[in-house]
Formats: sequence, structure tokens, C-alpha cells
Amino acid sequence: MLDSGEFRALFPNRPRPPGGPGRTVADLREEMERLESEGEIIIHRIRPENRPVRVTNLVGRTKQIPTDRLWHHKSCGQCGNIPGYPSSLLWLMNATHRTYLNEPHQTSCTAWNYHGTATSNPVALAAVAARNFHRAYETDHFPLIHCGTSFGDYKEMRKLLIEDGEVRKKVRDILHRIGRELVLPEEIVHYSEWLHVMAPEIVARQTHDMRGIVAAVHEPCHYYKMVPEDAVYDERVYAGQRPAVPTGILLALGATVADYSTWYDCCGFGFRHILAEREFSRSFANERKIRPMVEEAHADVAITSDTGCVTTLDKSQWIGKTHGFSYTLPVLADVQFAALALGADPYRIVQLHWHAVSAEDLMTKMRIDWKTAKAEFREYLQRLKNGGSPELLYPAREPIERFFAINKGQVPPEPDPGPSPSSKAVPTDAKGGSP
Amino acid sequence: MSFVASSLQRVRPSTGEDPAPTPEIEITGRRELTSDERELAGTIFAEFRADPRYHRFVLGCLNCGECTSGCPAARFYDFSPREMVQVAQNGDATTLWDAMQEKIWACCQCYSCTMRCRFGNDIGGIINVMRELSVVHGLESTRRALAPFRRTFTLLGTIGTQLAPDMIQPEFFRDWGPAATATEADWGVPLEILRKAIPVDVLQTTRAAWEVSVQTSLELFRIYEEAGVLDMLRAVDPDLVEMLVDLVEERREEFEAARERYRNELERMRGPVATFPG
Ligand code: SF4
Ligand code: SF4
Repeated sequence: MLDSGEFRALFPNRPRPPGGPGRTVADLREEMERLESEGEIIIHRIRPENRPVRVTNLVGRTKQIPTDRLWHHKSCGQCGNIPGYPSSLLWLMNATHRTYLNEPHQTSCTAWNYHGTATSNPVALAAVAARNFHRAYETDHFPLIHCGTSFGDYKEMRKLLIEDGEVRKKVRDILHRIGRELVLPEEIVHYSEWLHVMAPEIVARQTHDMRGIVAAVHEPCHYYKMVPEDAVYDERVYAGQRPAVPTGILLALGATVADYSTWYDCCGFGFRHILAEREFSRSFANERKIRPMVEEAHADVAITSDTGCVTTLDKSQWIGKTHGFSYTLPVLADVQFAALALGADPYRIVQLHWHAVSAEDLMTKMRIDWKTAKAEFREYLQRLKNGGSPELLYPAREPIERFFAINKGQVPPEPDPGPSPSSKAVPTDAKGGSP
Repeated sequence: MSFVASSLQRVRPSTGEDPAPTPEIEITGRRELTSDERELAGTIFAEFRADPRYHRFVLGCLNCGECTSGCPAARFYDFSPREMVQVAQNGDATTLWDAMQEKIWACCQCYSCTMRCRFGNDIGGIINVMRELSVVHGLESTRRALAPFRRTFTLLGTIGTQLAPDMIQPEFFRDWGPAATATEADWGVPLEILRKAIPVDVLQTTRAAWEVSVQTSLELFRIYEEAGVLDMLRAVDPDLVEMLVDLVEERREEFEAARERYRNELERMRGPVATFPG
């Protein structure tokens, strides 16, 4: 890959990206402060306990990325279809001794459905976002968004709730009817941003050398094309000309990131197409993404950082054979790649058996003993089948949580510090280590 | 009158008489509209222009085509984002009506156009406004487009996530191939055990992407009721909404029974659970 100087030299007439010292850009946070002072919203602030790291967004504003005490906002597609995606992330958090809550008290963002069918509207989308924001707030854990589409949608909804007083009022009224308040997080944070700023700690724990691996990155559209100014850019990654995630962590782990001509294209997911019109999804994925990744970038693996992209790029390859595409390019999320680099079990943790394209050759190249891991996983499955208890990354939820979004003793930070924790306090924060 | 024309083109029927004054356009690229359709097209047009997003999302157009050059849908369909912006700006109700029949469903909502447009148009966003209106008014083409999403709607309405592991079965996704996902044939254990082998408690489910607490799913349903989403759905699939209401009623009863069962624990706790009206 070109370094930033070489890359910039290709575009001598191109102005420097906005940002840099001294530049101030009016942003939503100022308006949020005003709204809070008028009692319109509550801001969920990033606090020292969240151990934030500062990065730069597209317009040069500092964005704080909390690294600790996080509330996992899960993704339907990841949890339903690529479970190694969230489990790798939680495993990395354990490995780096970060605390978190992963609860059953979260709804989907509903934005996959919205972008596929339009059977929702701004008030509903904003109310769903605010409902989940409030739940994170009352647990005093900062929301970390797993899905690129949830991230894009929540950026849009936060903006809408700040800019549109009428929507804000409607949403607030709805929230009151379900016993909640209008809370907006100070930052909307995608998990890949957490991974990016955690790179030094992750690399310090690396057990597998990734220098021989060539990765082609697919940049998820909803990460950076919706409310673009809130995506993270870094002068060290493509000279700040493309988002820093997920490329940054791959470079940090030593992999070679190879470029290809159609990097800007979407994956072909289409929201409705992947369920109802896959002729489009698979044609687009094979022709515009997989082929250039293999033919131009000579990639060993495709890496991306969103639910729909992993799904489309992975699942579409098999049918490509009917049109002469005989590629078998493994497709992983950045967190799965990072977890493998740190020695996570490829089946128990990274859950690679749910992927359509085998990653076995890739793991051989990474010098991972997948054969032993696979045999052990088969034995583990048999133990579970015979009634054995599953291993977990954190203490399991209580039976009462099947019904109620209970308060587990957390004290919301502001404006009501609240009395002492309830007597039903449960130690739910993971304390590190792996099963 | 029947003829072939590229859709969205304004075509005036030749009568051989003095055309002035110009009548409202009645002929579309597809066919003439019935009087009911014409009336509905007028209503939709007025609502489209009155939507507060219209003036935020449509700012003008240079016809530069920058949006279309990066549009994935434009490569595979008779569709382009530049055309959609032209439609959005066009003062003719039937032009909008035509685009809302099928074209709006070609867009794959990637927002590549929105990011590229030098005018700052939110093209993906304005397409959504058109789509929403097509749902609100229950257009026949929209009913057809949404027919495959019944299971998704049911999951969202009753549970709160929109995908379940048991949906991803090879027989439903033949084009994904025999290794599309982990199966009993490969691993010798059923889906339930494969899910149990995920080291995350709330993911050990087969009928929901993750386990959503009943309170949480009822909160989502309440939002959908209050924000008019159920009314939107009713316009395209009234039977589905009736079924959802019944299913959610069962969830409510389950919730009330649990409230009774856990009364002592709940009284000792503070937090929203005590005030959620159910
Ligand atoms: S959002 Fe729709 S119109 Fe815009 S580039 Fe993507 S597919 Fe094309
Ligand atoms: S990029 Fe913007 S200005 Fe150019 S054709 Fe598309 S909508 Fe019009």
C-alpha cells in the first residue's frame, strides 16, 4: 500500500482534507448543549470512566471514542446470521479488560426494514433510536453500535431530533408513554471505531503474524455515506482520503491492504434486494466487488465492518459459478480478523462455520491450527447435545430479564444521580479472560 | 391509447386541434390513469411536496450525472438517481406517480449518490419519502414489492428484531449454496445446539436474532402504534396487522402474568420497569 505521502503525490492539485489545527466547525453538539439547558433533551456524556480516545472526523472535528463501560447495541443480521461477529468483539473486550453490558433489553434499530420496505417513518425511527439510547443511559453504559446501518440511522435520527422541534416533541411524548426520556448520546460510535482506537492494545496481544496476508477492504456505505461528517478519518490511512476504519486495524496487525478500482461501490445488499431480489445482489457482489478484489487486489481475504456487507459478499459467491465466477474469497468482519490474530478459537469464538466461503486455507496461511480447533469444536457440540452447559463470555442474564428491563444497580449519571443501587445488584460486567 | 415511450417522458396526445390551453398531462409512459388514480396521484403529489423533508432533501440539480455514475442500481435497472431528482422537482403529479410504481424499488439505499451530489441533495432520502407515500396509500405495486416481507414484519412487530437464525435455511436460500450456513448435515447437531455453542447468552436463540425481553418488544410495538407504523402496514397488508395485534396481545398477557410472578423482586427494584404501563 502507498504511504500517505505517496498517495497524496498522486493528487497534486487536490486540496488538503478539511480539518487540522485551529479549524472549528459548528457541530450538533453545541445545539445539543442548548437543548439540554432548555430541558428539551438529556445528553448522555462520555465520562472519564469510559476511557475515551480522541480521533478526527471528516470535517476535522475531534470525536471521542469511549473504550470502556459500553452498552452493546447489537445487529439483527450479525446475531442472526454471523454470530462470530459480536462474539469476536466481546472476546476482544474481555482480552483487553474492557467492561460492558450485553442485554436482552434492546430492540433492533428497525432501519434494515425501513431501507428495504419504507414501512416506517421518521418519528418511529427516531423514537426507536431514542428508546435504545435511553436504555443505555439508564444503565450508565455508553452505547456502542454494532451495525453500520444502525450507526448511519442513529446519526440521522440524532440530527433530526436536534434539528426538528416537531419530531422531537412527538418522540418525547411517545417515550413518556413507555416510561422513558429523550436522551441523545454525545457521540454516535461504531464498534469499528472502538477497534481502531484500541489498535495499540490489540496489537500488544497479537499471537499470529499477519504480514503474509493480503486483505481487500470493503467500506460499508452506511458507515460513511450517511451523515458523512461523523465518520472517522486518519491521516495515516489513505492520507485521510478514505475512512480510517476498518483499514487502520488491518495495517496495525501487519496485513497488507490492497486497493481495487471499485472500492467506492456498495456490496449489493440493497436491503430489500438481499431478501426479495437477489439476482441483483449476487450479480453486483460478484462482478463489482469479489472479482476486482481477487483479480486486481489479489486478496486472500475480504474485510469489511458491517452486517449486510459480510452477508452479501460471503453468500453470493457460490452461485457465481453459474456465470463463470469461480472465486472463493473468505469474507470476515474486521473484529473476526483481529480476534484470529490474537489467537481466538476460530469456531468457538470466531464462529467461522456460519460463513459460506471456507476460511480454512486462509487460516493455514495465518498458521492457525484449525484442524485441531475444528475437531475440538465437534466434541464440544456433542457435549452440548448431551446436556452440557455452554461456555459464555460473561455471566448469563437472570430469568427475570426474559421479561423485564431491570435496573441492575447501575446509577444513571445525570441529571438524577439517584439513591443507592438496588438490592438486586448483579455483577454483569465482564472482567476479562476468555472461556 | 396505447403506445411505447420511455417512461417518465411527457407525451402530449395529438388531436389535430389547437393545443392551447394545455391540459394536464394524462398519458404516462405506461398507460392512461383512471380518474381514481389521477385523483390519488394528485393527493400523493401534494403530500410529497408538503413533507418537511422535501425542501431539505431536494436542493436543485445540475444534471451532472455524478450521482448516477456511482449508483449500483443504475447498472442493473432502468433507473437513475439523477432521474429521481428530476422527478422530484417535476411539477407533474403523473410523473411522480409513474416513478412510484416500480422505479423507487430499484434503489438499494447505499447513499452513494447522496454523498457525491455537489448540490447536497439527499437522493436516497427523497426516494424513501416516495416509498413511504407508496406504502401509506397502499399502491398495488407496493403491495407486490412488499409481499415477501411478511415474516420480517411479524418478527419486528412481535419480537423487535427482524431476522431469525431459522430463516437462514438452505431451502430458502438455494442460491447461497449447500454451505450457506452451519447445518446439522455438516455438524451432526441441530440448529438449536449450534446456537447454544455461541458464547453469548442472548444469542442462543433460533427464532429471534437475539433474545429480546418482553418489556422491550412491547415498547417497540407501542412506538409502532403511536408513530403510525401500524397504519402504514395496514394499508398494504391489513390481515398481517390483525395477526400482529393478536400476537402482541398474547405477549402483553405474558408480561402481566410475569409482573405478578415477580412482584416481590420488582418492588425491590428501581427503574423503568415499575412504571412501564405495558
Ligand atoms: S441510494 Fe439508491 S439511487 Fe442512490 S446511489 Fe444508492 S442505489 Fe443509487
Ligand atoms: S449529482 Fe446532484 S446535481 Fe448532479 S445530477 Fe445527481 S442530483 Fe443532480
